[in-house]
Amino acid sequence: MMNMKQAVNLLAILIMLGAGTAGCTSFGKTSPESRASMIQSVNPDPGATNDLDEKDIKLAKKVKKDIAALDEIYDVAVITGKKEILVAYKVKHLKRFGMKRIEKEINKKLEKNYPDEDFIVSSDYKIFIEAVELRERMKDPSFPDKKAEEQLQRIISLKKELT
Amino acid sequence: MLIGKQSWQFANKPVIESWGSSGGPFEAEGKLAADFDVLHDDLWMGEESYEKAHRVLLEEAIKSALQKGNFNKEDMQFMLAGDLINQITPTSFAARTMEIPYFGLFGACSTSMEGLALASFIVNYQGAKKTVTGASSHNSAAEKQFRYPTEYGGQKPPTAQWTVTGAGAAVLTDNPDKQGKIVTTSATIGKVVDMGISDPFNMGGAMAPAAADTISAHFKDLNREPSYYDLVVTGDLGRIGQATTYELLQQSGLEITKEQFKDCGLLIYNDDQPVQSGGSGAGCSASVLYGHLLNQMKNGVYKRILVVATGALLSPLSFQQNETIPCIAHAVSIEMN
Amino acid sequence: MGDKKKQKMTPEQQQYQELEQKHELKRPVVKNCIKAFLVGGLICTIGQAITYFYIYFFNFTEQTAGNPTVATMIFLSMLLTGFGVYDHIGQFAGAGSAVPVTGFGNSVISAAIEHRTEGFVLGVGGNMFKLAGSVILFGVFAAFVVALVKTLLTMMGVL
Repeated sequence: MMNMKQAVNLLAILIMLGAGTAGCTSFGKTSPESRASMIQSVNPDPGATNDLDEKDIKLAKKVKKDIAALDEIYDVAVITGKKEILVAYKVKHLKRFGMKRIEKEINKKLEKNYPDEDFIVSSDYKIFIEAVELRERMKDPSFPDKKAEEQLQRIISLKKELT
Repeated sequence: MLIGKQSWQFANKPVIESWGSSGGPFEAEGKLAADFDVLHDDLWMGEESYEKAHRVLLEEAIKSALQKGNFNKEDMQFMLAGDLINQITPTSFAARTMEIPYFGLFGACSTSMEGLALASFIVNYQGAKKTVTGASSHNSAAEKQFRYPTEYGGQKPPTAQWTVTGAGAAVLTDNPDKQGKIVTTSATIGKVVDMGISDPFNMGGAMAPAAADTISAHFKDLNREPSYYDLVVTGDLGRIGQATTYELLQQSGLEITKEQFKDCGLLIYNDDQPVQSGGSGAGCSASVLYGHLLNQMKNGVYKRILVVATGALLSPLSFQQNETIPCIAHAVSIEMN
Repeated sequence: MGDKKKQKMTPEQQQYQELEQKHELKRPVVKNCIKAFLVGGLICTIGQAITYFYIYFFNFTEQTAGNPTVATMIFLSMLLTGFGVYDHIGQFAGAGSAVPVTGFGNSVISAAIEHRTEGFVLGVGGNMFKLAGSVILFGVFAAFVVALVKTLLTMMGVL
């Protein structure tokens, strides 16, 4: 067994390691919105990766209105990409028990209203954060469309991970 | 000489010449710390394993007893000792160090009195001039064998007891000069009693009937009253065992007073130490008797005491096989001549 | 089972056991439950905080953050067991510290520490899963049975 001094030293080293690796972030959580999304509903406005396409943005707005209408959901983020539309939503805590049912409902609704579009739907908290992050980045007009599309694809592949 | 049904009377009064005890860190914080000859800061005692440390405890107790009486180990005819560990290896390895002809005994926590009774008999009938007897236990070694790994976070119930890390040993001789010396005068050998208790975390409750049985047998065989003794002290009944035994004795009509009736397991630790119901283990009765109690007798506090060591004869396997816990108690009366 | 045991006892034994019950110190069940609830909840809260840490600072989703969270919790339980603290927590909290994954980690780690003196292969290796072995065995078996039942029910169209 260790004495007190050794134990304190080891703990200090571990804490420093932990704090150091906290900087190893991939996307960079810089915007206040994504930081706040942990504790409150941020209500990000829907966006499209292709900035110039008015139709895309209008579509995203409509999708967001549709989803936000659902009772169990209190926050939605919609981002339209070239091929798919990412819909990330947050479910009210007590309603989390029916998560699977809500996902089915959303999929059905989207299928009905927009049969031609491909949707990626996720209730995952990480996907929501990433979507909000991407939206904030896209607000900057100098942010290239191609990069936004790349990031969107990255988020979608993250969503598909199972373990 | 056989007296009554299951007792011996030692007409030649074997003399307890000297005694020694060793203990661990927990005992060093207990009430009787001053009566220990050797106390350790940690449970390893400079050894690589708990079992090796266990052996060291007994060796130190024996060496201390020999040294205090100015004896050499070559003077001893026999060594009678035991402990709780499988195949009593710590005691056997200590016997290897001491190089004294050796009787290995197993009576679980009653080993100390089993050894003293047999040694007294051997010395009384000139089977030996000088013998060494004792017992020992080590908390971690016992926990590892009987219960769970020592660092395991299992919760012990309030009926559980704490195995003492300690050893006690005494030198018993046929010294004809008995003036002012402590002698053993009689012993009652107990029979195995099993009242159907099967909870290994409640040894006190299991051992109480055996203690009551042996104590009653002792007073019946020797035709004595409890008032003959200044102290009737049990080995490791703990809070529950002691209360239950007391009630059993009252029921059988023996008039023992509460002041007379003590328990080594309750004497050895402070009230603020987390030992649940008290101390237990072969080393409990041995280190308290061959330390505190004999010191008190030497100082004149007690003139006649009856020491009843109790043991629970179970194994981890017997418990898993749904056996109940059979128990035994041996009593030896020790008097100031 | 309890009745069968009682029937095997002689009336003398039954009588003694009634006497002994009077003197037995009973476990303070309500107090233990509250302590277990609070400590267990605290451990789970710490686990949730660690999950959020991994989701926020690393590339894990809610789905995938379970793995590093469990690994971190077991690492913490290893530290606490090694420093000799976890058994004191266990005595206080009982099931509160034994049921979460930290308790599982503690059972394996404490057994490994204990049997170091008997060598690495037979001692540590052979005894490490002394306590956790049955958890793993019955956990895997139960999962198998449940999966089998679910498959059958799905095939039959019930689920």
